[in-house]
Amino acid sequence: MKNTAVKQKYHIKKTSKKTLAHWYRLIIRGRTWDDRAPNYLKQAIGWSYHAPAAGHEGIQLAMGQTFDRDTDHLFPYYRDLVTCVSAGLTSEEIIYNGISKDTDVAGGGRHMSNHFAKPEWNIHNVSSNTGNHALHAAGTARAMKTYNHKGVVICSQGESSASEGYVYEAINGASNEKLPVIFVIQDNGYGISVPKKDQTANRKVANNFTGFKNLRIIHCNGKDVFDSMNAMAEAKEWVLENVTPVIVQANCVRIHSHSNSDRHELYRDDYELNYVAEYDPVAKFRRLLLRYDRFTEDELVKIEEEIRAEVKEAHKKGLAAPDPDPDSIYDFVIPEPYRAEKYPEGIHNEDGPKKKMIEAINETLKAEFRLNPDTYIWGQDIAHKEKGGIFNVTKGMQKEFGKERVFNAPIAEDYILGTANGMSRFNPKIRVVVEGAEFADYFWPAMEQYVEISHEYWRSKGQYSPNVTIRLASGGYIGGGLYHSQSTEGSLTTFPGVRVVYPSFADDAAGLLRTAIRSKGVTLFLEPKALYNAPVAATAVPGDFEVPFGKARVRKEGRDLSVFTYGNTTHMCLEAAGQYEKEKGYSIEVVDLRSLSPLDKDTILKSVRKTGKVLVVHEDKVFSGFGAEVAAFIADEAFEYLDGPPVRLGAAFTPVGFNRILEKAILPNTEKILEAIKQIIEY
Amino acid sequence: MKKIGIFYSFNTTKTGQAVKMLSEALGKENVETVNAETVNKDQVLSYDNMIFGVPTWFDGELPNYWDEFVPELEDMNLKGKKMAIFGNGDQKNYPENFVDGIGIMADLLESRGAEIVGLTSAEGYHFESSRALRGDKFAGLALDFENQPRQNKERIGKWAEQLQKEFL
Repeated sequence: MKNTAVKQKYHIKKTSKKTLAHWYRLIIRGRTWDDRAPNYLKQAIGWSYHAPAAGHEGIQLAMGQTFDRDTDHLFPYYRDLVTCVSAGLTSEEIIYNGISKDTDVAGGGRHMSNHFAKPEWNIHNVSSNTGNHALHAAGTARAMKTYNHKGVVICSQGESSASEGYVYEAINGASNEKLPVIFVIQDNGYGISVPKKDQTANRKVANNFTGFKNLRIIHCNGKDVFDSMNAMAEAKEWVLENVTPVIVQANCVRIHSHSNSDRHELYRDDYELNYVAEYDPVAKFRRLLLRYDRFTEDELVKIEEEIRAEVKEAHKKGLAAPDPDPDSIYDFVIPEPYRAEKYPEGIHNEDGPKKKMIEAINETLKAEFRLNPDTYIWGQDIAHKEKGGIFNVTKGMQKEFGKERVFNAPIAEDYILGTANGMSRFNPKIRVVVEGAEFADYFWPAMEQYVEISHEYWRSKGQYSPNVTIRLASGGYIGGGLYHSQSTEGSLTTFPGVRVVYPSFADDAAGLLRTAIRSKGVTLFLEPKALYNAPVAATAVPGDFEVPFGKARVRKEGRDLSVFTYGNTTHMCLEAAGQYEKEKGYSIEVVDLRSLSPLDKDTILKSVRKTGKVLVVHEDKVFSGFGAEVAAFIADEAFEYLDGPPVRLGAAFTPVGFNRILEKAILPNTEKILEAIKQIIEY
Repeated sequence: MKKIGIFYSFNTTKTGQAVKMLSEALGKENVETVNAETVNKDQVLSYDNMIFGVPTWFDGELPNYWDEFVPELEDMNLKGKKMAIFGNGDQKNYPENFVDGIGIMADLLESRGAEIVGLTSAEGYHFESSRALRGDKFAGLALDFENQPRQNKERIGKWAEQLQKEFL
């Protein structure tokens, strides 16, 4: 069908025979693999996840042909076999991914099959979480714009993914920031078994976005090669000329089930299955080539035979290719961090004037932004005239570094973090700092992006490292109640691929932040907001201070009891320890963990071996809090040195109440810690 | 009366039923049927009065057999031809694209010089939008086998009467 809204650049009668032959080869290569894929599962060889591309070939060919690996970025989804073949992936590369071989260019068999990618060419290795790469696409497009790069981002997804809030966030952000993205919605009418009428009121979901400014919407027949090619060519031309986003909605059919775990005959009748098969894009393209005398039957058969032989050869190579090495599982969990050579233990002897934690963080951010022009920071409420975040931690940054590097984000935590993941992809020099949420309590909407960013490096087998520091104002003791007092580390430390730090003092905050910004990989930087302006947390801070990850700091030496803590409770532990020592004469050691992941196991063991008694204190709930990990580790590794079981102290297993009386009853404090010390020592 | 060429896919069920009713109403002796699956330029040019059966597929598309004929139609001179279109749609389940196929085909044929005849009132249908609308009329006859099957016979009968006049 002709799409009259776009220029007719490609046409069955006008496109060169050479081009048509190229397209036909690609389409047949894609279809041949798509048809073969289920056999590998039946034979227990692999390809256990296969979302067939059959019925989507028109638009998928067009996406791959429109993508220029020298200038563009492509975010395919799990049904984009033909897209990736069209973008240049070879038959070998398809089967290596399909049967999860070590030679898989997407990531050595670490990610699910049928998730084709080639990061080397900017064909990104994306999530199975449908459509969440739309945020990455927006972030990469932001980087393109920032660096005046002429290119487009092509983001491909199914129509049902548009039901996800983050897809709305991505399109809204691209519209608002005028980003060079083509969002391609491949509409096959189903999200697994859910018909699109159960997803949204508009049958053409792209029309939900017609009210967005700076956004062009193009509809095309995704089953038709020419209509799809023209739509994509028009979209790319439009994006390059106007630097604004386009949605291309391509109507496709799903000829087979959603995937090999789905049985579409349970919800589709024969009539439907017949009519979708009737509109097979490959058969249609073939008929057109013959009908308009562009090819003879013999010529097409010759191409088909060549592809069949090529696929057969690749099949053999695939079976012979090496499997991933089980000993490699710890490779590429997280990149090597910046080496803090000046302060290898993260300790200094500076004796200057004391600075508050908020000043230390602000000055470190500014120092790093002065040092590295490829640094960026954004977040909700972060930069507006004199204001720099809810606590003014980023005060003055926009003024000094400009709106391109320091800017507000919409209230969309997923967007804040997801675009950081996207922007990082453009250039490995880029370092992004985000205020993940106004308060740590509001970070939860970004959780799926947090999980996503945590395994990008591992999943791509080290080919892509998101270089992002996530700052969160955390914890309570401000009378903030349920949504301004949460401790999140119990939930957020369980993900490999993210470093988690939680300083208690100004100097450590500065040193850890510097190391985080200079490092590759993801660091979650938790800031105890109750200490921002607290005199007790103020210290002298060397201008170049660095604190390595995984280095605890013994804040007070002792012989009779080891107290392990971090964040707000460090100061309470120090106070309680001092008080108890003064009263009873015992010697208490207080270790500020500073870094939760990685954890400084050496310093912990050294202390336990010395004292034989352990108290783990944190602000978070005891039940399933981070202290459980510390206590279990000590029980595992230092059992023979213990005089008794490690004791944990933290918040009650309740939310944090707003009324100060409730907050005091729920959160740990000096008195409660003192009592715990007393019970352990005097047992 | 010149022979009327009725072009439709011989593989269809509902469109085929409509053609049967239409042929009877027009008089079988007055019509010839042509299979749209294999239609060619010469077949179209051999008639002055034609009826195309164009159901709407998916969310407002031409069926593949018509779509594949479009590149040929685009180069044809249809000046002097009178052409009428009927098509099946589903106003309940596809209200945003009700009988779009009629509109798409009408645009195309008009752009090649044909005169579209057989416009019908859009009254009695309930839908949101349609590319077939020309003011308050459809650019042909809209049939809805899914939701208004009992009205087919009457609609086709009236349309046949109208065409007999307009084809003259």
